[in-house]
Amino acid sequence: MRLTCPSCGSRGLEEFTYRGDASVRRPAADASEQAWVDYVYLRDNPCGRHQELWYHGAGCRSWLVVTRDTRTHEIFDVRNARDVALTERQTDAGQGEIA
Amino acid sequence: MADQLFPVPPVKYGSLRVGGMTLEQSPFAETVSLGAFLGAGRDELVNRIHEMFGVILPEHPRAVHAADGRCTFLWNGPGQWLAIAVEGLGLLSRLREVCGDVCALTSQSDSRAILKLSGPNVREVASRLVPIDLHPRVFGKDHVASTLAGHIPVIIWQTEDAPTYLFLVFRSLAASLFHDFSVALNGLSYSETDSCV
Repeated sequence: MRLTCPSCGSRGLEEFTYRGDASVRRPAADASEQAWVDYVYLRDNPCGRHQELWYHGAGCRSWLVVTRDTRTHEIFDVRNARDVALTERQTDAGQGEIA
Repeated sequence: MADQLFPVPPVKYGSLRVGGMTLEQSPFAETVSLGAFLGAGRDELVNRIHEMFGVILPEHPRAVHAADGRCTFLWNGPGQWLAIAVEGLGLLSRLREVCGDVCALTSQSDSRAILKLSGPNVREVASRLVPIDLHPRVFGKDHVASTLAGHIPVIIWQTEDAPTYLFLVFRSLAASLFHDFSVALNGLSYSETDSCV
């Protein structure tokens, strides 16, 4: 499997480390216990497209959000996690309250 | 009485010549890492370096040379660079004056050694260890890349068109990388000491 790092270009899997599901979001501090259990412990095991975090430790040390098909390892999208987070923050700010 | 400290080179062998190719340690260089602070730090850093050194810090994995030719800046990740100069120029104090307030400056001089690989066929030799494409179509003069040589993290920097490569490697791994290259140079090598000078 190869990932195309936005900074470094196409690189082999050995340069990256899988860092988990990229779609989980930290609940509000006063969220229910169940929401926190979900956030801390429970992960989906999807068959198909999955958004996940990868760390380019042997390259530019960027965190990436990769959209991958878990069945075929087809890569649909690789973006800087920083850009994804900033875009989300702007969207949230635009909508006011964070859901 | 305490023993006196004495400098030990990161690789004990001087250089290695195989088939017209040379693997050697580059002279000790002053190295400083620059990490732009958040916010306006990055643009301000680029402006200041441009004013003082006459170069634009690269956004992509490239090396750029200061107008006076005494210092080089390597891309080293988003918003991060390595400044390299020959020893004795006071690079860190100079950078501290120029841009100490807009970026994190850390001396990396002791952290890395530099191995130089030059001569014919060095692209083939380097390709045995480095998993990136070194074809001249995609990797040319003053291109740099952070990657792995075998299992050893390196920054590879092509300094000449007829490829000459510098490998910036963590000092404690320099001897292992030297050995790996000696094997790559010899094809099926026995020991690097056999052909060392």
